[in-house]
Amino acid sequence: MLDTQSSHFSHLVDLTKGELNRSIFSDPAIYERELKQIFARCWLFLGHVTQLPNENDFFTAYMGEDPVIVTRHSDGKIGAFLNMCRHRGNRVCRADSGNQRTFTCPFHGWTFGNTGELKVVPGYKQVYHEELDMEAHGLIPVARIDDYKGMIFATFDKNAPSLDEYLGDMAWYLDMAVDRRDNGIEFLPGVHKWRIKCNWKFPVDNFIGDSYHGPVSHGSAWESGFEGMPRRKKGYGYEGFQVNAGNGHGFGARWAENEEQVYEMVLPEFLGYEKERFPETHARLGDLRGMHLSPMHCSIFPNFSMLWQSGNMRVWHPRGVSNTEGWSWCFVDKKASQEHRDLVRIHDLQRHGTSGTWEQDDVDNWVQSTMSSRGYVGRQVKQNLSMGVNHEIDDPKSIHPDFRGRIAGFQNEINQRNLYAQWGRMMDGESPVVPGANA
Amino acid sequence: MSLDMPMTEIETWYSVSQFYTREARHLDDLEFDKWIGCMEKDVRYWMPIVSNRIGRDIGTELTRLGELAHFEDDFESLSNRVKRLATGRAWAETPPGRTNHMVSNVELLGEKDGLTKARSQFLIYRSHLETDQEIFSGTRIDRLRPDPDTGWKIAERTIILDHAVLTQKSLGIFF
Repeated sequence: MLDTQSSHFSHLVDLTKGELNRSIFSDPAIYERELKQIFARCWLFLGHVTQLPNENDFFTAYMGEDPVIVTRHSDGKIGAFLNMCRHRGNRVCRADSGNQRTFTCPFHGWTFGNTGELKVVPGYKQVYHEELDMEAHGLIPVARIDDYKGMIFATFDKNAPSLDEYLGDMAWYLDMAVDRRDNGIEFLPGVHKWRIKCNWKFPVDNFIGDSYHGPVSHGSAWESGFEGMPRRKKGYGYEGFQVNAGNGHGFGARWAENEEQVYEMVLPEFLGYEKERFPETHARLGDLRGMHLSPMHCSIFPNFSMLWQSGNMRVWHPRGVSNTEGWSWCFVDKKASQEHRDLVRIHDLQRHGTSGTWEQDDVDNWVQSTMSSRGYVGRQVKQNLSMGVNHEIDDPKSIHPDFRGRIAGFQNEINQRNLYAQWGRMMDGESPVVPGANA
Repeated sequence: MSLDMPMTEIETWYSVSQFYTREARHLDDLEFDKWIGCMEKDVRYWMPIVSNRIGRDIGTELTRLGELAHFEDDFESLSNRVKRLATGRAWAETPPGRTNHMVSNVELLGEKDGLTKARSQFLIYRSHLETDQEIFSGTRIDRLRPDPDTGWKIAERTIILDHAVLTQKSLGIFF
């Protein structure tokens, strides 16, 4: 085991060689430190505002291993609190979602308002002799909560930078999912939740930049009728970029030269909708974001991932060093017709999430990569992230003047390298926003 | 039993039970083409998502049609799932898992428009690779059409899995 008290986590990631110490996937002491340095300090994705349409609506979520309740108060504001009674620590809410003004702990009946304040303690006079400080025993609130165009994030670190700073250039790229049309997106009701016996970083790594595994891992789905988007077209369709947006966030996108190529990359059943929405998206987002980039996969540090064209967002909750719980949602443009919503939902669930023909073939890869990190000998062998290490694109603005961040060819592990660089910085106690710190 | 006489309820129950046993055997013996043969061409195969609700929300645990589901398949997509398994590169089932589909508590819930409604409970054990063990438990509600070859065909199957957070690594099997 490593000495987790000294400041040396960045050294487990060698950016010049593209090598990684495998113990970060198996060492319980490292995992414990991740809960503190990463999950208690980063902005974490909780859900979407459309999951809380009404006053007093709530859903439960997790921040790291800490359960939280996310509520919409009567004043319309959204808050989040530890789902933990201040008496014995029992969960005050056992539902996944609902509508409640108060939460009563099932253990002894302490009752909290959905703004967190402790309202009722049974026997306050008789057994507590009115000596319990009610004001000091409300539900523990998150330090900060905010949303980016409807996407709710929160952090337990009161010294964290703002959400805008934390997302940095990634927010601007996120518009390609959340701001393509007027009124943005909404989440469909229902969440896929499932456990995978892997370290949480493997799926994040996979989604942030692994465009390499597709043909091998997902070939069977692709050729059996579960084709994905953007479709590969020989000549130009295989082209595209990995874009590193900084602060450990990144995505991969295919490249369309013109509007015609946008339509060629779309599955036939989505063509009508693409033609309907293209002029609006192009007008809102411009050439680079509204036409050239057809984004596919992404991760936002530390544990949010997205499959843009499939309408799929998810988080990877850590559940011990070798266990992860995936939560996967389906999103659609608010302006989408019912017909298009049906197509997106079916496209998504037949490929991604619990029964997904793509998803299920990823799982054992992540499980086995985790298991191999547990053997003493295997753990001494470096994880290889070297793809294209000396082949990043020096001047992204020569490709297009609007590009932000760093870019490389579509098959390049630039995003994984920067994911682990951010991991090392956070583990060493640095701020999640480090200007110019990208590799 | 004379062929032009309608089946008694006990004959129908026996016939449906036998059909379910045969269907389960096709799945456990990896005879997926035969399993697909148990489906009508216009089948709807649907598994909503269950979640935890309390208070006045009791009774609304399942997602509805039009909301996200674990499965929402038709004959074509189910056939494609089967086709995928035959590629040899469907890694979740390469090597294949070993399953035991146990179907019981078969109950007939009436007949409408030539379709017999039947409810059954299932318990599926799956062993995969070295030590992976999974148990799937739940309820199926089917609408079945009499068929001269297979006894019955499934026109509609709703599967209610008992798990809110799946402890299984995926839903790569059929129910």
